[in-house]
Amino acid sequence: MPKTPTRRFALQAGLAAAMVPVGHQAAAQSRPVTKVLDFTTSADMAKAEQEGALLFYTHDGEAGAAAAMDAFSADFPKIKASYVRAQTGALYSKILAERSAGRFDVDVIQFSDVGTAIDFDKRGAFETYNSPQAAFYEAEFLSDPAGHYFCSGMTFAGIAYNTDKVKAEDAPKAWKDLLDPRWANVTSTKQSTSGMQFVEWYELRKLYGDDYWKAFSKQKPHGFDSRAQLFDRLAKGDDKICALAEWAAYVLYHDRKAPIAFVAPEDGLPATALATGMVTKAPHPEAARLFIDWLMSLRGQAVYQQHPDLLYGSVRKDAPPMPGGVRLRDFKLLVPSDMQDFLGARKKFNADWNAMLGLL
Amino acid sequence: MRSERSAGPSAQTFVGITVIWLVAAFVIYPVFYLLQASFDVGDPEARPPTAYGFDNFEGLPKYWEIMLNTLYVSFAATVMALVFGFLTAWILNRTNVPFRRTLEQAMAVPYYVTPLLGALAWSLLGAPESGFANQIWRALGGQDAIIDIVSPMGIAWVMALFEGSVAFVMIGAVMKSMDPSLEEASQINGAGRFYTMMRVTLPLVTPGVLGAAIFVFAEMLGSFSAALVLGTPVRFYVITTAIYQLVAQYPPRIPLAAAMGVSLFAVMFFMLFFYRRIIAHRSYVTVSGKAFRPRLTDVGGLRWVLFAICGSYVVLSVVLPILTLVYASVQRLAVAFPAVGNFTLDNYRTALTQNAVRYAMSNSLILGVLTATIGVALTGMLSWLIHRSRIPGRGLLEYIVMFPQAVPRLVFAFGMMWAWLVFPIPIYGTLWLLLIAYLTVFLPLGVRTISSVLLQLDKSLDECGEVCGASWGFRMRTITMPLLRPGLLAAWMLLFIASVRELGASILLMGPHSQVLTPAIVSAWFGSSSELTAAMALIQTVVLGLAVGLFTLLTRRASRQGG
Amino acid sequence: MDVQIGDPHIEVENLEIHYGPVAAVGPVSFTVMPGQQVTLLGPSGCGKTTTLRAIAGLEKPSAGVIRIGGDTMYSSRSRINVRADKRGLSMVFQSYAIWPHMTVFENVAYGLRVRRKSRAEIEEKTRAALDLVQMGAYAYRHASQLSGGQQQRVALARACAFSPSVLLFDEPLSNLDAKLRGDMRIELRELQHRLGVTSVYVTHDLEEALAMSDQIVVMRGGHIEQNGTPDEIYNYPRTEFVADFVGSANLIRGKLRPDMSALGVVALEADGGHIIHGVSHGRTPGSNPVMSVRTVHLRLSLERPVAPVNVWPVVVRRSVFLGDITQVHVEWGGRELVIRQTVPDGLAEGDGAWLSIATGHCVLLEAE
Repeated sequence: MPKTPTRRFALQAGLAAAMVPVGHQAAAQSRPVTKVLDFTTSADMAKAEQEGALLFYTHDGEAGAAAAMDAFSADFPKIKASYVRAQTGALYSKILAERSAGRFDVDVIQFSDVGTAIDFDKRGAFETYNSPQAAFYEAEFLSDPAGHYFCSGMTFAGIAYNTDKVKAEDAPKAWKDLLDPRWANVTSTKQSTSGMQFVEWYELRKLYGDDYWKAFSKQKPHGFDSRAQLFDRLAKGDDKICALAEWAAYVLYHDRKAPIAFVAPEDGLPATALATGMVTKAPHPEAARLFIDWLMSLRGQAVYQQHPDLLYGSVRKDAPPMPGGVRLRDFKLLVPSDMQDFLGARKKFNADWNAMLGLL
Repeated sequence: MRSERSAGPSAQTFVGITVIWLVAAFVIYPVFYLLQASFDVGDPEARPPTAYGFDNFEGLPKYWEIMLNTLYVSFAATVMALVFGFLTAWILNRTNVPFRRTLEQAMAVPYYVTPLLGALAWSLLGAPESGFANQIWRALGGQDAIIDIVSPMGIAWVMALFEGSVAFVMIGAVMKSMDPSLEEASQINGAGRFYTMMRVTLPLVTPGVLGAAIFVFAEMLGSFSAALVLGTPVRFYVITTAIYQLVAQYPPRIPLAAAMGVSLFAVMFFMLFFYRRIIAHRSYVTVSGKAFRPRLTDVGGLRWVLFAICGSYVVLSVVLPILTLVYASVQRLAVAFPAVGNFTLDNYRTALTQNAVRYAMSNSLILGVLTATIGVALTGMLSWLIHRSRIPGRGLLEYIVMFPQAVPRLVFAFGMMWAWLVFPIPIYGTLWLLLIAYLTVFLPLGVRTISSVLLQLDKSLDECGEVCGASWGFRMRTITMPLLRPGLLAAWMLLFIASVRELGASILLMGPHSQVLTPAIVSAWFGSSSELTAAMALIQTVVLGLAVGLFTLLTRRASRQGG
Repeated sequence: MDVQIGDPHIEVENLEIHYGPVAAVGPVSFTVMPGQQVTLLGPSGCGKTTTLRAIAGLEKPSAGVIRIGGDTMYSSRSRINVRADKRGLSMVFQSYAIWPHMTVFENVAYGLRVRRKSRAEIEEKTRAALDLVQMGAYAYRHASQLSGGQQQRVALARACAFSPSVLLFDEPLSNLDAKLRGDMRIELRELQHRLGVTSVYVTHDLEEALAMSDQIVVMRGGHIEQNGTPDEIYNYPRTEFVADFVGSANLIRGKLRPDMSALGVVALEADGGHIIHGVSHGRTPGSNPVMSVRTVHLRLSLERPVAPVNVWPVVVRRSVFLGDITQVHVEWGGRELVIRQTVPDGLAEGDGAWLSIATGHCVLLEAE
């Protein structure tokens, strides 16, 4: 796909000497920084309110997405924030199809795996915006070059089981236990469109080799679209084991007194960073910038970290602990380190995972 | 006078030809794109396709399991729907069952309660582990599960429950067009009830019932919602859900989906062709507009048993699902025997914040009103052109108008999605696209409804007006329209309901700013808990019911005023 | 069941048929002797078809008794109601009720098949029945391809195929055109005579009833107005309705003149002053006596006829030429009388003339 420079970049080309076809030179921006509510922003508040709307594409479940939008609109009532949700893979193909047809409706997009964000970035689809909030993030949690997207939270997953259907002594304690034949046909996972699932696949493959997933496919797992669905079924006993149990969802259902127990295997918990960024040719650019700043700020991060339907661990330097006093560093997280390798494995993951789930 | 006469036909002809071209464009344009996509063997992301070939079709036999599933489910559903339809049609048309009028009206309700709602509710009722019915069964001492709705038969059951009301109407029409004296003559000749039924009634009704069976089967082939909710979680696919999966997954496999769509389309086309042949030639019971009222058989004490049979159909298809949804929506974690603390209204609170309830509902209502209003005008004019005008090519027009019936909605929408994506006017992802899609796929429905009313209208009424000197427009306004009014209102309501409950086409064409009801419930189902989905579905049903009730009241008043 | 000579074949006693709260028929009583044809005659809605269907067993009465050949088919008191398929009757329907999915042969043979007759017998009787109606050549034609008249014959053949003892006809000729009707009327009558079958026939057509029946039962509003032979019904109508329904009549009201009446003959002083003499036919004049005078019996003449009574001078009001008949309206004692005669007199409006009528043609109606 031809890489088209953004309009913004084209303007800079007149000023700067060299034309950089790949990526963007993050030129120093001279945007005024104002303080809104309790955070700093470089967005033009007046214009943002004039724009009056925001469209957010996210991988989240309905409840989570709605919660984020509601929180933002509560803070900025003049901006009507709306969302479209789909799992990362579906979301990605949707936005690509739209953009290739010349439709640009989206302001901000959020993926649940960094690999997709990198791919999106390669196509030059992220807008460059250096938020004043970026100072509160370590470099590893910002895009490279900075200003395209950032890590708006982290989520990790372990194993969960239904305590009514599974006795504690029989329950799996390690990832390898999932291969036990007694868990055939009663195990659930996410579909290949899930970023989180991709990470789990990649990491466990690194730990145990290809054979692990070959053996796992014999369990004939059921694949679903959202963590709400996974836990819904687990809580009701439709599935006995969930092989990709996001800790955030576990907390939510635990509070609802569902008969579910969480297992954090010794070898580690696959984790993924959420990548959120502003999209080029956004119809509401100022509102988008405001949203990014809001989300990066303590205010937005508090929503992401504490709302029961979200519960993403914040990577902000000064973030408070998550509900229950836990911190990300309390867990042994497995995060992909070699991005190139990670990206390259995507095709194989899709093919293998779809075949395993009996998809077409 | 004379100049008016000679200007009339040519104005008609011009309008007629224009209309034919427009309709053909709307109907054929998406199909063209569908075909194009199915023959695309080059880079799937390149537009227009770089290479053409049959590879996609050659790959189809690999999915023989899906084909088999589709046939199995459709066949089972058709048989069940016919049983429901035949039984209830027989009972309500031919016996002295008590509360006949009420039951007849109740039989229309499953059409409003969409198969999607039924699928959601039955999933809550009959899932092998968590279903309420199974929980109750286990509490009573039973083993495992008494019903497993998440299975091919379960899918067929849900489909049949809702298509049963369609079968009821079709078979009822067949029964109403049989002269009761044919059976009386048999009785007089000494044949008992059973002999009469075997030798006279059934042979006469069979061609009509067969026609209904083929029609229902074709509908089942293209059916989507039940298989989506009940089948996909357990890796059970039929062609329509497979197509959807291929399009929605990552990466999408469009050409394969298109090839599947084309094959399904071909099969349905053939079936419907077959259907028209049967009802045209083999039916002894001619639908000449003459309707008999069959003589009612006194069944004595059996009356209450028959009442129970009809009643249980209504209960199973409407009452039980709604109650189940209510029951689930007020719990934190829906179980059959909840603890007191499990009850909550939180689901409703959350539901009102969700896209599906906020935007989707108002979109759907607006779209429904637009579809129904424009649709009635459009199909009214088309019906008139087909049956009452003298323009050349009106047979062709009828054929084109009925064409969308042969294409499953999902497949049609697929073609539309592709077609309108590249259209210079930016309507992709807007409500306008959905409007166009609805108008196109509902053409057969509207034309069929209005045509049947139009045909009953005596031609001489219009001709008398013509002789009196009234122009075509004046006659239309003062003679035809007022007489057609009840039929037009009925068609309006039908189109409104159909557009609001539409799933197959909407799910592919929906955009961020054009969310509509039924697909929104589906994404809620896949993206949130079942209790929350139940709450959303109920809110929508109530609002829709109120809207329908309101419109019915308004139209009743209007028709009373109109006289 | 043997039917003795002299015993009625069909007996209907105090039959009542209700549709919900509405009484469609009743109470109605009449009998049909063996081999006779009784016609139920009346305008639409009078209950004649309902009564016929009750005899057939296709309608459930609310009260009364129906006996056929001495066997009780329906009795409200004894709670008997024999089903239609067990009554052993035969019926020709108004719409013929020919089964379109069978051949002519299969249609006619149906009743025999039901009774499990042997193939040879079925063949023989069906052929005989078809020959009776001259439809033998069409035996293997598909019934859906027949014309109206042909269907009618097949219906008749079917009714006769198993030699029933009772034939019921529900307006069988009303769907045929006038010419065919006339022909079929004669055929039906001949057939009935030849087979000697007891028939109950329903029609609204006066000519049919008069031509074909042994007895006519005139019905109106669910009740019997008069039950008698065609001759009786025509010449001695019992009520105003019968008088005007069966042929056309002038109804003359007045006061009784006992001074001028004698045995069997009554004299009425009409409201206009004229005295009219007529037969009482055994009826007692009530407080409002009415005489029926047929339009075709009144005589108009230019010269005064020689007769002791029933001669009056009249003035012609209008004369209408109707082809076979000329209808003359005259002014008679302050009111109008209608005369229908075959010979046009050439009388014009305003002309004077003499009106006369034989005493025997004036009939006293029965008192209300």
